[in-house]
Amino acid sequence: MADPTVLNLVLWLPVAGMLAIALTPRGQDSLVRAVSLGVMLLQLALTAWLYAGFDATQPGLQFVTNVPWIREWGIAYSIGLDGFNILLVTLTAFLGPLVVAGAFTAIQKDVKLFYAMVFFIQFAMLGTFVAQDLFLFYVFWEAMLIPMFLIIGIWGGERRIYATLKFVLYTAFGSILMLAAVIYLVYSLYTTTGITSFAFTDLYQNQLPLDTQSWLLAAFGLSFAIKVPMVPLHTWLPDAHVEAPTAGSVILAGVLLKMGTYGFMKLGFPLFPDATRAFTPALMTLAVISIVYGACLALVQTDIKKIIAYSSISHLGYVMLGLVSLDLLGIQGAIMQMVSHGIVAGGLFMMVGMIYERCHTRDIAAYGGLARLLPVYSVFFMILTLAAIGLPTTSGFTGEFMALMGAFNAAWPQFEAGYALPLVLAAIAVSGVILGALYMLWLAQRLLFGGTRAPHQPFTDLDLREKLILVAIVAAIFWLGLFPAGPLSKTELAAREYQQLVLGTHVFGSAP
Amino acid sequence: MIWQDVVTAMLPEHILLAGMLLLLGHEIVSGRERGGFLIAVATVAAAAVAACWLSATGYTNSPFPGHYSTDAAAAASKIVLLALALPVLLASRDDFEESRYYVLVLSSLYGACLLVSSDSFATIFLGIELMSLPVYVLVLIAFLRPESTEAALKYLVMGGTATATLLMGVSLLYGWSGSLAVQAFADALGSQDTLAVAGVVLVVAALFLKAAVVPFHAWAPDAYEGASVPVTAYMATIIKAGVLLAALRIFGTVQVLRPMTDMLAVLPLVSMVWGNIAAIRQTSFRRMIAYSSIAHAGYLFYAFLGAGPGRHQAILFYVIAYGLMNLLAFMVLPRGTDDPAHDRLDAFKGLFQRRPFAAVMIAIAMLSLAGLPPLPGFIAKFLIFRNVLAAGYTLYAVFGLVASYLGIYFYLRVIQYMFMSAEQPAAASGRPRRYALVASLLCLAPAVLMAVFPGWLLDRL
Repeated sequence: MADPTVLNLVLWLPVAGMLAIALTPRGQDSLVRAVSLGVMLLQLALTAWLYAGFDATQPGLQFVTNVPWIREWGIAYSIGLDGFNILLVTLTAFLGPLVVAGAFTAIQKDVKLFYAMVFFIQFAMLGTFVAQDLFLFYVFWEAMLIPMFLIIGIWGGERRIYATLKFVLYTAFGSILMLAAVIYLVYSLYTTTGITSFAFTDLYQNQLPLDTQSWLLAAFGLSFAIKVPMVPLHTWLPDAHVEAPTAGSVILAGVLLKMGTYGFMKLGFPLFPDATRAFTPALMTLAVISIVYGACLALVQTDIKKIIAYSSISHLGYVMLGLVSLDLLGIQGAIMQMVSHGIVAGGLFMMVGMIYERCHTRDIAAYGGLARLLPVYSVFFMILTLAAIGLPTTSGFTGEFMALMGAFNAAWPQFEAGYALPLVLAAIAVSGVILGALYMLWLAQRLLFGGTRAPHQPFTDLDLREKLILVAIVAAIFWLGLFPAGPLSKTELAAREYQQLVLGTHVFGSAP
Repeated sequence: MIWQDVVTAMLPEHILLAGMLLLLGHEIVSGRERGGFLIAVATVAAAAVAACWLSATGYTNSPFPGHYSTDAAAAASKIVLLALALPVLLASRDDFEESRYYVLVLSSLYGACLLVSSDSFATIFLGIELMSLPVYVLVLIAFLRPESTEAALKYLVMGGTATATLLMGVSLLYGWSGSLAVQAFADALGSQDTLAVAGVVLVVAALFLKAAVVPFHAWAPDAYEGASVPVTAYMATIIKAGVLLAALRIFGTVQVLRPMTDMLAVLPLVSMVWGNIAAIRQTSFRRMIAYSSIAHAGYLFYAFLGAGPGRHQAILFYVIAYGLMNLLAFMVLPRGTDDPAHDRLDAFKGLFQRRPFAAVMIAIAMLSLAGLPPLPGFIAKFLIFRNVLAAGYTLYAVFGLVASYLGIYFYLRVIQYMFMSAEQPAAASGRPRRYALVASLLCLAPAVLMAVFPGWLLDRL
């Protein structure tokens, strides 16, 4: 049986990996790669153990470690797993070895630093997910910036400096206001209850007037919405994705974007429930705009990476839609969609990277008829395309369908009561599915079928390493698509808890 | 006055004095101008140990009642100042071999130690002058470029103005209260009397001048650029820390009330904004650090908005984090950066390829100065803004945080140059300093401990 030590081990293993890499002598690039892959695989194995040991029938946190860190301010090193983060932690650990293996041939410059930064960001991402203390969460949240800044800036494409500065300055701006809100929130808890604590559970009990809640939600929300990203705060994403190296794109699309939605789910909405309910129509509108606008932008791109980048905006719109529906199905669907998007978009970026390594261009017009040139590649690309569209039996279907169902479930009673906006919005959101099919199939058609065209011929099909990476991704897609019951059951209690927290009233002075 | 008390309470100062005499004696007896390095390092280390001993035993005494006292706060401040001086001395080995350099540093440190133990404005004046006067000479002493003279002169004139302002303010306070004790300042803070307010404003202006807060900052970039690297490091860390710790001594634990808070908030806020914006335009590393230090002076004075007891902790923690990280960046700078061409930020391009260790150290320092977690600079910034918010100044805190956001870009640009730019063929790197490794580890190790166990340090401040 797994115990809290294993979770700590999973969290700190990347730091150990970073030190191990720092100590390897210069010029031993293959040793660095082997060590990195080994550590990541070990981490995945330990995470799988945690996943298996996670008891779906038990509410609240499991594998808890709670040690005072800065006692005077009520800050603790408090980590644990619950239904919210168990799947996301598993996703992060699953993508880790794939990112490392995927960069074996692509990264030839400053190899040591690269893998050290991959470990650094892995550590920060896992920490953000498992942290149960607001200060700890913030430290991990901000710490993600540093490795990503370097990954895009050192190993990125032509306009990498512009892209990485844009990414950092965008996200840091959100974070700085969040910091002000964090300090204010904790101080208000102190003035109302006399407790100085950064623990999530204590902060959930905080009762604030609606206008204060609204300001604080705006500050937290800005930071999270930039990370998601929600339209109109999305403009950093295409640049960052296009310029980032493949590994950076996979980390960014696979895990980093989920930080925003996870933040809303774990902090933004439950901490300020009254403000959340007051802003639901606005949030829902933004989510639907993100879905449709992201899909429309994806339709007109000529760069393969940009299409997938804009599709991410659209797909994360469903997550937001599910979260603000406050319907059980919608919430679980949102979590499922996060995981699914992480795997599918991660896989797609990986595949774009593979073709880019062979042909050194991402311009769609340069390609055509790859199905004849690279049959294995094309099969995998087609599977990922269908998963991105949300074809039944793939993970994309489970998440998208549940999130939309949730939105309709929540909208129907309101429609019967004479309030039509949510239903209209939900209906518009469905059009995103159609647009999604359009841009993805069109991409696949231009890339794989038609006249044979490629910048450099001949080139080889996928090698064993690349095949193994893609087999792992495809297996995960079908596992989540065919047997979603297992993972979903782990999220159910957490989704109920979220629902109660947001629907429960917290306004100061009113009856609980 | 019992002479044993005088010996014990002023032990760190006495050790510094003994070190100075030893240096002078050594020079006279041996007839050589060189070789003071080891004596100076040993002296400062011994003085720091003495301060630690005073702090650990909880020694409290006032050998010169009303003028000089040793207590927990003073001992802690002395530990910080003396410990920060160690890496500076180590880094000086390459630039200065003459004993007179070390004598000047030690006497400046003596002044700083005197400053943080002062109970009266007479001692404050003595301390602040003793701390500053040697630095005017230190700026000049390297004399590697014509600008050094100009910088030293500017610094001297501005320093003189600050002293005059301080004396004017003190005499007004004396006229108002009939006392030279620092308590008179705290009393005057709560007073509506014109004389008292004028005195307070002049004293605060003098502190702003010494710490380079906008609009009294113009001397800093020239002085920082004109001096040699160890002296710049000394000015940016120890002088700044000394002034802030003296301000802490003067303000005591009194809660500052309106309208004084507005002066204490607006000028530092302008300082943060202007320092951070002006730093973006700089092409020389040390000018950039000068503007960064102007912004940091703003954060530090912000702490005075907060409640009395939290102030001491916040400022001391900030001074340590800021000092260590600034020194870390200076310690690993290659030699030869005194040459104007080498001081250009362009010379940092591709540094990671040439000297990975130095590049990583400078990157850590820059990220910490930018206040990004998990580095100690973040916890220090958090501490200051938490106190400001807790005192009820929500808007000032938000503005201050946004101002600190403005500073992220130019710190990141240094990292961008070092890691992401192709190597400049012209940027031949100077040799690393001889004790750079020791000095940088001396800065890095405490900083790592501060980031991992901040609670431990906070309990002891």
